[in-house]
Amino acid sequence: MELKQDKTIGEVRTDVALDIEIAKEKGAKVVGCLCSYFPQEMVLASGAISVGLCGTTEERIELAEEILPADQCPMVKATYGRAISGTCLLFPLADCIVGETTCDGRKKMYELMSREKPMHVMELPQMPDEKEALVHWTAEVRKLKSFIEYHVGEEITDKGLRNAIKQINEERRLLKEIHRCRRYHPVPIMGLDLVGLSTMFSYSVNREIYRKQLTMLLEELKQRIAREEFACSPERPRILWTGLGNSLGCDKVLRLVEECGGVVVCQEGCGGITRIEDMVDEEKDPLEAIAERYLRVTCSCMTPNTRRFEDIDRLISEYSIQGVIDLTWQSCHTFNIESYRVGELVKGKYGLPFLHVVTDFSQSDIGQLRVRVEGFLEQITLGNKDASHKCLQC
Amino acid sequence: MKIIREPVFAGIDVGSLTAKAVLVDKGGILSHAIIDTGANPEKAGKTVFDKALGKAGYRREEVRQIVGTGYGRVSLSFVDKAITELTCHAKGVRYLNRGIMTVIDIGGQDSKVIRLNRDGSMADFAMNDRCAAGTGRFLEVMARALEVGLEELGRISLRSRKPSLINSMCTVFAESEVISLLASGEEKEDVAAGLHLGIAKRVGNLAKRLGIKERVGFVGGVAKNKGLRDALESFLGIGFAPIVEDPQITGALGAAVLASETHG
Repeated sequence: MELKQDKTIGEVRTDVALDIEIAKEKGAKVVGCLCSYFPQEMVLASGAISVGLCGTTEERIELAEEILPADQCPMVKATYGRAISGTCLLFPLADCIVGETTCDGRKKMYELMSREKPMHVMELPQMPDEKEALVHWTAEVRKLKSFIEYHVGEEITDKGLRNAIKQINEERRLLKEIHRCRRYHPVPIMGLDLVGLSTMFSYSVNREIYRKQLTMLLEELKQRIAREEFACSPERPRILWTGLGNSLGCDKVLRLVEECGGVVVCQEGCGGITRIEDMVDEEKDPLEAIAERYLRVTCSCMTPNTRRFEDIDRLISEYSIQGVIDLTWQSCHTFNIESYRVGELVKGKYGLPFLHVVTDFSQSDIGQLRVRVEGFLEQITLGNKDASHKCLQC
Repeated sequence: MKIIREPVFAGIDVGSLTAKAVLVDKGGILSHAIIDTGANPEKAGKTVFDKALGKAGYRREEVRQIVGTGYGRVSLSFVDKAITELTCHAKGVRYLNRGIMTVIDIGGQDSKVIRLNRDGSMADFAMNDRCAAGTGRFLEVMARALEVGLEELGRISLRSRKPSLINSMCTVFAESEVISLLASGEEKEDVAAGLHLGIAKRVGNLAKRLGIKERVGFVGGVAKNKGLRDALESFLGIGFAPIVEDPQITGALGAAVLASETHG
């Protein structure tokens, strides 16, 4: 299996749009989703197809800015741009859309987006460790169930939910194993290639095919490790990615890091391992188990966001990390402020180079970003001579 | 009779406004040159290199290793290696003054603060590369609005008793503010001093955010401006460490030193 993926996100979406159209002709319903907090199991249990509708490219931002202020998060603008452009192939296929009150930009944009499609917004509690949070969130998950049942026209049973939990947990287990292959040094796959492949696979309409693709990728990685066939030289600094910007389409900085001689060996957060390794409990009441699992997602909209720091702390040692990059989209206040604490942890506890990048989806700042990224990599390769790199065997 | 000479190394720093070249051998700096970058960074790099060679009396073939730096580093086809100006400034400043632990560099289009490790490598850095506020380009525009030369700007500001309050550090808005301040009768020296205070606050806060460790070296073309230098020292409450060479060449100097080190 080739460990490269040359399709753009636009091409990937075009392919899946065709598959969805075929499925819709046979009577399938489609639920559009927008966030890691969205419990996908609910859609699977209803027999519908879920499709991600977040904007990750700049081309529809201009249109969105006719309505939204320009100084907003690029993801908020790009997502709204997809909804109103009439040129996004996927958006019109959704029968309904579900969002969450993660941040102010999103929730106010959703008020406008709800003019385009039937939309349900889940109210996300933002102090996840308070005991009331789970009670409230469980009620929100229950409300979501009724919304999906109504729009899909199917009842969601406990049996259906249990089955969906098992299926999606299995996908998570495969993905987790795939990501953990990157603990080897040197890595069997470049960060950009894994981002490309996993984004493309995740757009599968047929979950059986999705699991097959993941199994094949995992097998390939294991074989490459056994054959000692690595993706790059051992000299490349091993980078932990945190924050945003590690999915196909909005990967410009990640691409730059690997162009400039680094290798991203682990991603925390959306698109990364911490959204995968957390399973839904298969023993508990399914709806409650789903609520618990999704409230544990570590977005910076949560306060305090304790688990994110525990994750980063653990991943630095697990993946033999030599430097950490934290990417924030412009105007994302929560990730932007939280970055200070990420830097404290990385520099203070581990003495590792840390780079906080604030950017958007455009290419306009690529020259300046190159200086920062190269400077950051030079901190690892030219400085810090005492910190010897440990080769990890797992 | 043939004289056997020490191996020579070169550093070429092609910035947004000026290109700098430095030649070193194991004894120290042989020569340096500074020219305007103009529209063609590759050409500017070659020209400034030749100029430094001419001053020292060397030919290109005699240079053992060349390191390129600055925003134009990626366009220099004749260098052996490209290294960012962050690492190069750190190296160059340390070469001139071993006591320096923090570097503040204000160049043509951005400002940087670099903290050093004990061994002179880079420990951490912060950059303002979003807009021209407080950079060499900013000062050029303001000098033109004040109808004084760029070199004069620093000198006249030292005469000010009552620096003007400049509200905006955006190059476009500050320019119109300067023009209206002059129209309302404010002295040029007060406006110049006000501009320096504004820049000092902006760059000084960048440095405070990163954390300052003494001693601090102030470099880059803008470090030649005495008025700004004083303003930044008083904002930070410190005195800058002396740097014997032209502060504009520390990037190219660091590149030359790195060239000699990578060569072994």
